Amino acid sequence: MEVIRSTALDQFREECRDWLGEHTPRDSRPLEGEAMRDFDLSWQRRQYDGGWAGISWPEKYGGRGASVLEQLVWYEEYARASAPASGTMFVALSHAGPTLIVSGTEEQKSRHLPTILMGEENWCQGFSEPGAGSDLGSLKCKAEIDGDHLVVNGTKIWTTYGDLAVWQELLVRTDPDLPRHRGISWVICDMRTPGIEVRPIKAMSGLTHFAQCFYDNVRIPLSNVVGEINGGWKTAMTTLGFERGTGTIAHQIELSNAVDHLIDMAKSRVGGMDEAVAADLAGLKSEVLALRSLTVASVSRGRREEVPGPEGNIVALYFAELARKVHSYAFDLLGSEALDRDTGNDWPLHYLESFKWGIGGGTLEIRRNAIAERMLGMPRSPRPVELKK
Amino acid sequence: MIIDLVPNEDQLAIGNGVRDFLRDQLPVSRLREESAHGGAAEQAIWEGLAELGLFGLGLEEEAGGLGLGLPEEALVAKSLGEYLVSPSVLAQMAATHVTSDVALAGAFAVGNKRAALCGISGDGLLLLDADQADYALILGPGGVSLVESVSLGEVKKRSGMDESLTLSRSALPPIPTEGNQAAASRLAILVSAYLSGIAHAVTEMAVDYAKVREQFGQQIGAFQAIKHQCADMATRAAAAEAQTFYASVAFGEGLDDTSEAAAARLLAGRAALENGRANIQIHGGMGFTAECDAHLFLKRAHVMTALGSDPATERRRILAT
Repeated sequence: MEVIRSTALDQFREECRDWLGEHTPRDSRPLEGEAMRDFDLSWQRRQYDGGWAGISWPEKYGGRGASVLEQLVWYEEYARASAPASGTMFVALSHAGPTLIVSGTEEQKSRHLPTILMGEENWCQGFSEPGAGSDLGSLKCKAEIDGDHLVVNGTKIWTTYGDLAVWQELLVRTDPDLPRHRGISWVICDMRTPGIEVRPIKAMSGLTHFAQCFYDNVRIPLSNVVGEINGGWKTAMTTLGFERGTGTIAHQIELSNAVDHLIDMAKSRVGGMDEAVAADLAGLKSEVLALRSLTVASVSRGRREEVPGPEGNIVALYFAELARKVHSYAFDLLGSEALDRDTGNDWPLHYLESFKWGIGGGTLEIRRNAIAERMLGMPRSPRPVELKK
Repeated sequence: MIIDLVPNEDQLAIGNGVRDFLRDQLPVSRLREESAHGGAAEQAIWEGLAELGLFGLGLEEEAGGLGLGLPEEALVAKSLGEYLVSPSVLAQMAATHVTSDVALAGAFAVGNKRAALCGISGDGLLLLDADQADYALILGPGGVSLVESVSLGEVKKRSGMDESLTLSRSALPPIPTEGNQAAASRLAILVSAYLSGIAHAVTEMAVDYAKVREQFGQQIGAFQAIKHQCADMATRAAAAEAQTFYASVAFGEGLDDTSEAAAARLLAGRAALENGRANIQIHGGMGFTAECDAHLFLKRAHVMTALGSDPATERRRILAT
């Protein structure tokens, strides 16, 4: 618990600030479709050319190899410059890439890591299924070995940007006779393979950011299996929480800005801010500060531990709850004004989108289970029934 | 500037040393006996607390302290909350920073002069465990002030909501309209740390109970209705602690001290109260009894949240940034 004073870090911060100040895209990011993807890819390419791509990736694989503290500085400056979130590049940069780095073969790494860093190809995630959401271990999408290929049949859902991605990290059941968490394989799936159909799903906010994928005898080379065949659960779990919450710093700053915006609005009202509103807003502002402090604590631990602990769930839970609180409070505060979407600050969109934080990537309930069982050592809930064939 | 929030080796040693001492000398179970109330248990080992260096932790060495910083004081204050140590110990630590009289600060550090924590309430002063106090450390709207006990006039015993403390009341002495604002932020951070200690202790207590209590043929902690409450308790405690420790490290570093400290106090108060209530609920019938320690934590959380608190001013500080 101390202030770290380092000229090297100060210089690094200046370097980040200068580069971001000069290169952050000034045109606004399209909200949907190929235009949005192309925007993300070209921003990634620009970071690559500037030597900033893969800030947390090891240098050996073309990343920046930044220390945890440098990553924190980078994301702080990134947010300060209002640089766009990684968007359609998120899965590739924060999940698929790191997974390949830890578990991939040299061939898989040299094929995919450069195209990710250069913003040439983006990825999506094929984990959840209609019958396997929170209970991911019960997934049924089937892959049978046929010569040197896997033949995949089944479906995946909530695939963010599934219609815009070139590659997919796909979890399939390769042995239905093994216990549920074994018998799963982690596979690199080319989304252009015949037999794949992607049907976009429109969300409650009106945005179409995710999709359902259908696989009809899709042939994937066995050489695309990452890690052991039937060892996919382990492959997937190794890199969960890889970024230690630094990846959500940009979203945290957005949330902080939203609260400041609400405070300014309340102050500028006729008659000023009443005490009840002040109390509510002071609570939200305090929680924004605490969220930052929790992230700083997580980063601090990251300097000392190799593998992130279950504490990341606390940051994620706190963030998700706060995001919903802030945006629903905007509705309370604005009253009928909030219904108009053409006011410059689209509160309905942000409010409706804020529901995703407590569902995607682990529901609030699953995160509470993880905190209770893995951090507090509480007894596990009754064991799930064995997967039926 | 980068802030690190994991205790370094020296800080860990201090934190563990104090916690071991308190676990041994001032276990919460002491408060089941009336004879330990009102800070009597602390008074009985006053020299030991002084020798440990608790009082003068943050005072410069030349003045007779240990010359450590606010983060170390906050770490210790968290343990004081975990063991429901008399608020007088917090007052003692804070008093060394309020007075400009170096000799007096040194006397607080070695325990020769004693301070009691007090807050303005209505048109009077509420005092905690003040029987032996030479000075009243008053949390006022303009900051912290130190007033000699003899100048308080008549001090009347009251029957308090938290029976493990001695509550008394006096007329409001003349205090400067501009108290020591920096010391007030320091004290707010120490009170936050104390409250986050309570929030943490009751989480541990609830989790431990949920692991041993069985109903419907299994530990109640296996039920999500219980474990999710515990997860929320742990989250609230973690947020309060992180914000408190952040404020303690950022203090005096040119950031907005007052808003960081006010946010810490708001969240730590909420965490201690909400967790204190949840702990009672998780203990069921036992939680409602006077035999179970759960009520002691809730009552103390109320005292430390309300005493000297000025929500309207604190809100303005939080919203000012």
